[in-house]
Amino acid sequence: MTGTLNPLRPAAGVPRPYHFPSFSRRQLANGLNVWTVPIAGSALVNVHLLVDGGAAAEDEAHGGIAALTAQLLVTGTRRLDAAAFAEATERLGIEVSSESNWDHARGAFQSLPQHLDEGLGLLAEMIRQPRFDVGEFERLRAERLADILQARSEPGRLADESFLMHAYAADTPYRRLSAGGPETVEALTHDDVIAFHAAHYRPGLAHLVIAGAFDDDAVAASVERHLASWDGVGPGHRTIVPHAGGARRIVIVDRPGSVQSELRVGHIGIDRYDPRYFPAIVMSTVLGGTFGSRLNRRLREELGYTYSARSGFDTRRSAGVFTAATAVETAVTAPAIAELVALLEAARTAPFGEAEVKEARDYQIGIFPLRFESTGGIAAAIEPIAVYGLADDFWQTYRDRLEAVGLAELHAAATELIRPTELLMLAVGDAATIREPLEALGIGPVEVVPAP
Amino acid sequence: MPHVPIDRHQLANGLRVILSHDDRAPIVAVNLWYDVGSRHEKPGKTGFAHLFEHMMFQGSANVAKGEHFDQVQAAGGTLNASTWFDRTNFFEALPSHELELALWLESDRLASLLPAMTQEKLDNQRDVVKNERRWSVDNQPYGTWDEKMQGLLFPESHPYHHPPIGSMEDLDAASLADVKEFFSAYYAPNNAVLTVAGDFDPASALAMIEKHFGPIPANPAIPEPPSIALDRIIGTERRLEVQDQVPLPRIYAAYRMPTFGSDGFDALQVAIDLLGSGRASRLYRALVREQQVAQDVTTFAFPLVGGSAIFTIFVTARPGVAPATLEAALWTEVDRLTADGPADDELERVRNMHAAGVESSLERISERADRLSMYACLFDQPERLNAEVSRYEAVDAGRVREAMSASLRADNRVVLTYLPAESAEAGA
Repeated sequence: MTGTLNPLRPAAGVPRPYHFPSFSRRQLANGLNVWTVPIAGSALVNVHLLVDGGAAAEDEAHGGIAALTAQLLVTGTRRLDAAAFAEATERLGIEVSSESNWDHARGAFQSLPQHLDEGLGLLAEMIRQPRFDVGEFERLRAERLADILQARSEPGRLADESFLMHAYAADTPYRRLSAGGPETVEALTHDDVIAFHAAHYRPGLAHLVIAGAFDDDAVAASVERHLASWDGVGPGHRTIVPHAGGARRIVIVDRPGSVQSELRVGHIGIDRYDPRYFPAIVMSTVLGGTFGSRLNRRLREELGYTYSARSGFDTRRSAGVFTAATAVETAVTAPAIAELVALLEAARTAPFGEAEVKEARDYQIGIFPLRFESTGGIAAAIEPIAVYGLADDFWQTYRDRLEAVGLAELHAAATELIRPTELLMLAVGDAATIREPLEALGIGPVEVVPAP
Repeated sequence: MPHVPIDRHQLANGLRVILSHDDRAPIVAVNLWYDVGSRHEKPGKTGFAHLFEHMMFQGSANVAKGEHFDQVQAAGGTLNASTWFDRTNFFEALPSHELELALWLESDRLASLLPAMTQEKLDNQRDVVKNERRWSVDNQPYGTWDEKMQGLLFPESHPYHHPPIGSMEDLDAASLADVKEFFSAYYAPNNAVLTVAGDFDPASALAMIEKHFGPIPANPAIPEPPSIALDRIIGTERRLEVQDQVPLPRIYAAYRMPTFGSDGFDALQVAIDLLGSGRASRLYRALVREQQVAQDVTTFAFPLVGGSAIFTIFVTARPGVAPATLEAALWTEVDRLTADGPADDELERVRNMHAAGVESSLERISERADRLSMYACLFDQPERLNAEVSRYEAVDAGRVREAMSASLRADNRVVLTYLPAESAEAGA
């Protein structure tokens, strides 16, 4: 940002305090953790059921089984086939979703309060007694394989996937998407789904989050009715130890005829437990988290190379990636990469300014109530506390912890979190046009690879 | 059913003001709709309304380039703007004690944009917008669909013939004189609606609005928009095959439909949900699950007011399925619903999904503010926001059949088929 002192700026009024809603948690005898968040003024209720059945719970030979299992859940229960299950839920105005990432699988819905019990009953039935019809299994596996093709045809998604492939070493599961690649998805069987579900969809490590407008006693009875007889404890997940895929280098993923290059510059970042979590938020906000951030100001507002530029950390149980990302006109690919690298390196060598750091902190602190405006937003905010075991007062103390990030701490974090010798500089674009200019930069060896 | 409070005012210069109070959280949304969009562009100036929207962030008499964003974000707010066929909107959401900041910033650029304009800023934002077009259209699989669809749906003489992003040639031709002319013509308080939603004191909010916007003069001569006269139906089917860097064939079907706000539009909105919203919808059930000819289906309406709205259906072929097979299956389902109309339980399904969807959308004050501005700007009836659910529920099976029969005809449709370029070559 450029500094916001302007004598004509109207003075702020008196702030009204905002507090993240208080919530309570209890555990059923079967181990299920139940989190309830009453929200004053909400006219909706959100229900999220989380199990330790994400991609970290699968083995590499079955990469994608967690995602396919989650996606299959919505195709019906023993009692209701796919059509009947869709009708039973949508008749209530409910769309049940079921999906997974690396760290968990989630079945969820939002409804009007009067449909909470019926909705929870259908969600529990879906999780506990899925139909797993063979025909639906074959259909969804084929859809997943076609989805992979579709995603790889989009330059932005191809860049995201390619970055993981090259940022991590061959022995690191994070080098692929959590939903798996075609090699393993093709080999998944119906029996694999049944076995994965039987092992991992257990209440022992699971969490139920209910947020919004509800009556405490009615919810307790509803949870008891639908979930108390669920039993067992799953095996949990693997510990993933990330290793870097190589030293500083440029990788071009060839996409002939591209009129833009999608750029990703970065390397392995931090995990969700990292003590530098708060400095990392402030750092990535200063670099590429706002319109006036260093990356967007330079690449968009000064150079006109791009529509937008941003940076950020993807945090999981183990270290996800840190990237600076943008899409630029093909002709300026090399200078844009040089700019990105220079901006990242400057964050280590040139100290952050007091004003830009204050603005970044103020932004993250100020938007706090806006993030929790919706019932779904509050339900989602409970998930990291549940899944990663963060302190119950995580959101209560969040703004104070951001406020406490000082210049010295920030500079120390930047020095550690940005590692020039490990930078992967990846471009998805027309190799025939961009290769030579990238080589001429002399900032790292250049490798051209075909699109996967 | 949600009920959003609506308190209407108007300043002497014609600015329409809507206040909608809600103090659940200490946040406030400011939203401005200007009654100008890509529909108002002159021939050879496609994309200009959108390029101009970018120029509104390049500074004004008392605000530096980029400062609008910096001020709001440093105050803990979010903001943006967008340009569409019928309008351009600008919006902020921020902690409620910073309401006046947003009002000051919005008023300063409306009062005094031109003194801050320079060729350098225009050239910079022209490059940004051309990259926006590359990113969203030219470098995306299927990215040209709406440009091609609009070109076929509407004659060259109609302002919906081109999309808001415009053409590279016209963007290249935009000049500083165009910026001045466009601003002077359309950016006036009497051509705008200002909505404030959320946590505020009504009397002091009105005083702030009067203080910052009151002195800005009206434009007594807002130009007449280009003619939107149009036949209700195209009169013939228009077809186009496009070879593109896509892995799977996809069909885009589009129809002219009654304009947003009309009873006919409401009836076809229900048809859109019956056909394509949710896993129990007709098209998902038949094409995706039962026949397995489609990978996905999407149906939606462009809610436009300039002579016609647009009814659209996208279906992506499953690998190995011929586009003709997919297309035949699609028409079978559309024709069946047109002929028979929906069953009672299908209507119950889409009504409940719609009501829950409205409730969910209106949880956010920014969405309330945007819809209030929309209904005020397009119809001078912000109260329509509270009638969304009742209008939808008033649509019965007979109205669905009638509206579909009138619009979803072969002689009123555009069929765009995207084909993978490589396999097409291999097959030739």
